Amino acid sequence: MPMGDMPKIGMPSGALVLLVLRVLRSGPFHGYAMAQRIHTLSSEVLHVEEGSLYPALQKMLLKGWVRAEWGISETNRKVRFYRLTPDGRKQLEEELSDYNRVTEAIQNVLRTA
Amino acid sequence: MGELFRRLRYLLRRHQLDQELEDDMDFHREMMARDGRRNFGNTLRLREDAREAWGWTWIDRCEQDLRYASRTLMRSPGFTTTAILVLAIGIGVNATAFSLFNMVALKPLPVRDPDSLLQLQRRSPEIIEGEMPYPSVVFYREHAKTLSAVMAVMGVPPMNMESSAEPVHTSFASENYFDELGTQAALGRLFDPVRENKPDASPVVVLSYGLWRRRFGADPSVLGRTIHLNKKPATVIGITPYTFASLGGQTPDLWLPLAQQPYFIEGSKVLTDSSAASVRMWARRATSVTAKMVEQELLTLTNELRRQHPKEIWDNEYIHSDPGGHLQVMQPEMYQVAAMVAVLTLLILAVACGNLGGLLLARGVTREHEIRIRVAIGASRQRIFRQLFTESLLLASLGSIAGAAISYAVLRVTLDLFDAPKWLNPGPDWRVLIFLVGMAFAAAIFFGLTPALQIARQRQKKPIARQVLVGAQVAASCVLLIVAGLLVRAMHHTLYTSPGFAYEQVFSIDPQLGQHGYAPNSAEAYLNQMESRLGGAPGVTSVSLVKMPPMGHVVARIDVEINGNSVAIYPNWVAGDFFQTMNIALLLGRTLLPGEKNAVVISESLARRRWPGQNPIGKQLVTDKSASSASDTVVGVVGDARLNALNDDDAVEEYWSAQADDMPSMSMVVKMSGPPESFTPVAKAIAESLDPKIFPEIRPLKSLFRENVSKVEQIATVVSLIGIVAGLLAGVGIVGLVAYSVSQRTKEIAIRLALGAERAQVLAVVLRQFQSPILVGLLAGVGVAAGASKVLRKVLYGVSNLDPASYAGAIVILVGIVGLAALLPARRVLQLNLAKILHYE
Repeated sequence: MPMGDMPKIGMPSGALVLLVLRVLRSGPFHGYAMAQRIHTLSSEVLHVEEGSLYPALQKMLLKGWVRAEWGISETNRKVRFYRLTPDGRKQLEEELSDYNRVTEAIQNVLRTA
Repeated sequence: MGELFRRLRYLLRRHQLDQELEDDMDFHREMMARDGRRNFGNTLRLREDAREAWGWTWIDRCEQDLRYASRTLMRSPGFTTTAILVLAIGIGVNATAFSLFNMVALKPLPVRDPDSLLQLQRRSPEIIEGEMPYPSVVFYREHAKTLSAVMAVMGVPPMNMESSAEPVHTSFASENYFDELGTQAALGRLFDPVRENKPDASPVVVLSYGLWRRRFGADPSVLGRTIHLNKKPATVIGITPYTFASLGGQTPDLWLPLAQQPYFIEGSKVLTDSSAASVRMWARRATSVTAKMVEQELLTLTNELRRQHPKEIWDNEYIHSDPGGHLQVMQPEMYQVAAMVAVLTLLILAVACGNLGGLLLARGVTREHEIRIRVAIGASRQRIFRQLFTESLLLASLGSIAGAAISYAVLRVTLDLFDAPKWLNPGPDWRVLIFLVGMAFAAAIFFGLTPALQIARQRQKKPIARQVLVGAQVAASCVLLIVAGLLVRAMHHTLYTSPGFAYEQVFSIDPQLGQHGYAPNSAEAYLNQMESRLGGAPGVTSVSLVKMPPMGHVVARIDVEINGNSVAIYPNWVAGDFFQTMNIALLLGRTLLPGEKNAVVISESLARRRWPGQNPIGKQLVTDKSASSASDTVVGVVGDARLNALNDDDAVEEYWSAQADDMPSMSMVVKMSGPPESFTPVAKAIAESLDPKIFPEIRPLKSLFRENVSKVEQIATVVSLIGIVAGLLAGVGIVGLVAYSVSQRTKEIAIRLALGAERAQVLAVVLRQFQSPILVGLLAGVGVAAGASKVLRKVLYGVSNLDPASYAGAIVILVGIVGLAALLPARRVLQLNLAKILHYE
């Protein structure tokens, strides 16, 4: 996949957590699949780097939002899949509503100012 | 909660989970490669970043640092051994001192509820009295609601057991004593609060474990046997446990019930006499009552007591309470001594740390190369500092462990040597362990911080750190040597100068007539007969009477203010020929007449202080404002004789003529001309024939004096030893530092020499940088010693705390050590091979 000259859009760490939580709502994924999914769903705008994904996942494990379990990858390898916990679901809801409130507020300012 | 749990679980399964993370990331890479993407990141770094979330990476770093530090230390065993040894001395001395303090003042007695125990004493603004009249104790016991129990203990002169020559130390204790302390007998039973409370109960005795073993061969059949104490039969009912903990650290050979005191000391009325100070009072606070509340209630009771016995209660009298649940009830002056000891031992640690700091600095030079490489390949200064400091901490911990071992060995020997209570255990308890950990940290900071900072900054070229280290070591060892010198001088002073009175061939005889119920008349008759019989005994040249015998059990002291200075006056009541018997010179005027009132003889020093440059004869003297008597006329001046304050050069004396009322409490002093060995049996025989109830305590002043001096001797030996060790440590440290600065400047020195400088001149240049720190160190040491040794004055036996010989001696020794230490390595300058050095460059 060509990287082109287009600069990669960096992602605020908070947003990455939100996206990972949202992706995991539809089922367990391993790390690479998450990164791919976010990349694809964002129409290839957002890149999730190894260097930010795994620290974020460790933090989410620590917070108890996700749980790791063993699974088999599409390449037939034993890898860890991450699954959303009830705590994680609650966290996602909170972050979503926060996010919606903030974007709405920003939109309001942009529309009326 | 859940988060902490997960964090801890991660810590426990760290290696497995790290492996899983690594797998995750490997897989990620494989997939990327499959998709035709590349990644340039450092995998190790990425993984560490990810792991950081769990907050445990510092453990890995510590582990690394520790592993690295132990490898470095193992690689130079010579340095490591020296360092641990130096630290073990510094920390060991401190740990020993702290352990002793801990045993004496911090460890609770192993008795029931030690926290609620109180020692109670009579006080007034002028007077401190350790013992109380027994009727007062009974009054307080019956009326105080803030006390749940009151105990009384009476010490008496040693008693004779059976017909053995070795007297046994005896204490009378109230019947509730063992019960309140929760003591279980090793054998038989201890006092029963009900059975032993009646004066007419059958007389019983409890043996101490030590006496039971020593005199009865630990024979269990001794229970129920009748033994004789001062010829009074009593039944042995039990043995105290081996590890018995008594109040106030008392270790008598046997215990008798207080209620039976009149039986054992025939004729004694002290239990009913409300003017005789006879028992020590201990008590237990009631639950949820503070010591303050106890004191307040006792004050009201004291005032009540004053209404009943107006004569016996002093003005402004109150009862003072001290926590009693430790081996020693600490008094303010003991804390002063403890603080002084702490300062001295910390000085040793300071010398040890200064020493080690120098070694580390010198090592820094040899490690410069290694550290430069590590900085070059990306180590941060912070990380290098942390590594160096970890090394210091490791050294300090090892030193602390070695110090603890030394301290344990010293304490074991000390406890055995001084026959300490058996419940004391030389092993460290939690307080000592905390102290050891604290000491290790403090030491690591002292000796490791500056060198680590300097080396990490790669700036160890400046001599200032070295100079500070040298100065500190010199100052600290200077103080130690001066104090040691003072104590040694004090010891010699006591050994080779007279205390102002004869002690070589003098005996004191204390018949304790008052304790046996003698009235003034009968006491006087007894003393007169005794005096004439003793006077006729072979070898006796002179006999006299004194109320406070020299080095006796009881000491009276009046603190007064003269011309703005506090002066301790030791009062005494004597017969007129006392001065002649004791070889105390009559300098002016006359001696006291029998029964004379309002006349006083004072010591030379008191005369000089009170009326400097005047003739004191005929002057009026008011000693005690609170005493009702009018002023006394000075009739004579005698030489200074510190009868009851051997160690205190500032003590002064006043003597009054003994009155008829004093007779029951008088002792005798007997001076011999011939060999004194035969005296004791003769005196015993005379006492036996005068009144078989009375067993006077006969003590040779010479051995009392020796005992007193040997205490100072021991202290002086220990302090000198410590002082010498500190001086040698400082010497070794200076050898290292000078050698280091010579090796650092080899090039410069070689060039100077090559250009034609004199070798002696170059030597002077090398040594000059140490000149001022050594001077400053000496000055600081002398200053600190002069200031701090004021506390010592009272134990210096008449040597001034500014005694020039001690100071000069300490400085000479120190300068000698330092000079030698500086010259030894500097000599290398004179033997440099110029061609080789310059060629090498």
